Amino acid sequence: MAVSAFLTGVGLTPFGRLPGRDSQDWQCAAAQIALDDAGLDPLRIGAVIAGYSTVSGHLMPANVVAERLGVRPEVAFGMSVGGATGLAMVAQAASLVASATAEHVLVVAGENRASGQSSTTSTKILAQVGHAHYEVPLGGTVPAYYALLASRYLWSHGLDDAALAPLPVQMREHAVATVGAHFRQPITVADVLSSRPVAEPLRLLDCCPVSDGGAAFVVSRAPTSERSLSIVGVGQGHRHQHLSALDPEDTGAARAAGAALRQAGLDLAEVDVFGIYDSFSITVAMIMEELGLAPPGRAGAYARAGAFQADGRHPLNTHGGLLSYGHSGVAGGMAHLAEVAGQLRGERGAAQVSDCEVGYVHADGGVLSAHVGVVLRKGSQP
Amino acid sequence: MSRHHDDWTHGEPRLVLGVCDDCENRWYLPRDHCPRCGSGRSSSRQSSGDGLCVAVTRSHVTGEVGGAPLSLALVQLDEGPVVMGRVRDELVPGDRARVEFVPDGTGTALVPSFSRRALT
Repeated sequence: MAVSAFLTGVGLTPFGRLPGRDSQDWQCAAAQIALDDAGLDPLRIGAVIAGYSTVSGHLMPANVVAERLGVRPEVAFGMSVGGATGLAMVAQAASLVASATAEHVLVVAGENRASGQSSTTSTKILAQVGHAHYEVPLGGTVPAYYALLASRYLWSHGLDDAALAPLPVQMREHAVATVGAHFRQPITVADVLSSRPVAEPLRLLDCCPVSDGGAAFVVSRAPTSERSLSIVGVGQGHRHQHLSALDPEDTGAARAAGAALRQAGLDLAEVDVFGIYDSFSITVAMIMEELGLAPPGRAGAYARAGAFQADGRHPLNTHGGLLSYGHSGVAGGMAHLAEVAGQLRGERGAAQVSDCEVGYVHADGGVLSAHVGVVLRKGSQP
Repeated sequence: MSRHHDDWTHGEPRLVLGVCDDCENRWYLPRDHCPRCGSGRSSSRQSSGDGLCVAVTRSHVTGEVGGAPLSLALVQLDEGPVVMGRVRDELVPGDRARVEFVPDGTGTALVPSFSRRALT
């Protein structure tokens, strides 16, 4: 098929508790890396799409960034689809270049959520993805919503509390070798199980940290260098907003992946490297299983068996994912795409997946509410 | 509407379900259209409040200072829809559960709370 969008620039900052920068600082830092990577002057950007920051809460995030970077786009807007925002912006950028609305689109996000906001405030803001009248007044929070998913998962598959622990252990193993990751000390299953309970059955090491950091991409109508990658498929699934309305057999994850792969004309078996949203151990387990990458109830066992290592059956989140590279709001889900791009460009050194031609990236927002999948392919022949 | 007009969110100690007038699909969170057939015609019906507990969490974090720990459950009502509630006493997935309304939420309302004990 004819490819109509290319990933030409990738920008990812280190994540962590890194005080001294505000949301716009992180966004502009990441944007500059992406522009340099694409080899583009800011004035060549025709559209800017920016993700929300829970810290700055600005009404016009794309315009603020554009002014500061010296970009004067024909199109600029902010987006918010929770954790799926980063990939939803990429999907929108691909559409803007395919329709010739813009030659180059800058996609950017970042915030100082770790150092610029108290954890109680973060918890309260994020809890609002729950129903304002039927869930939040009960004391619902994002960790509690996902803990309920974990409880149902463990019970329905007859598993004990240790079943998910190999997933954060694998993510940490990837992060140990990743410069810029929030956490790089190795952990064990015993460490996960002895970490403090956050929302049982989830413990601290089942949960991603809150980080500072930024990420940005340039999506273009034509390649700008041999390092440009082809965006060959995008797909989305939006089946519910609230946990009380979620169908655990059909959250929308498989629909998003199926649509993206159909557009790419590829089968899941042809994907060489994966970047799958892992806000909690249960998140990545449920998405991997709904996609068919692990049998029902077996994502943890697959992790323990090494299936998600760089040389495993399904190389997964080889930067460490949200669980260990970190989670800086919208930028958190963009780091997966930055990592997959690094793999497809063959630039990941010791963490390099061999014979890497096709990558699949998946993000979810809310309580497995909004799903966006993107298929990338090595090479940039239009 | 974002709330059923006569349920616990308005101070009435009951769970109310929406029922599609065309395909009889049922739901808990208020909807303007049936998610299965798209019909805009629906009625409301009081739930028995009985069901199967499918998930429980003991949460140690809240958005309110001093609000934790607290326990939440998902209960699949005998009528079909899933309801989130607080937990009274012991309750684990697989238990039969029944709703009561107690002042345990973050506000002053009586909120649904599920209990195994209430069956006896």
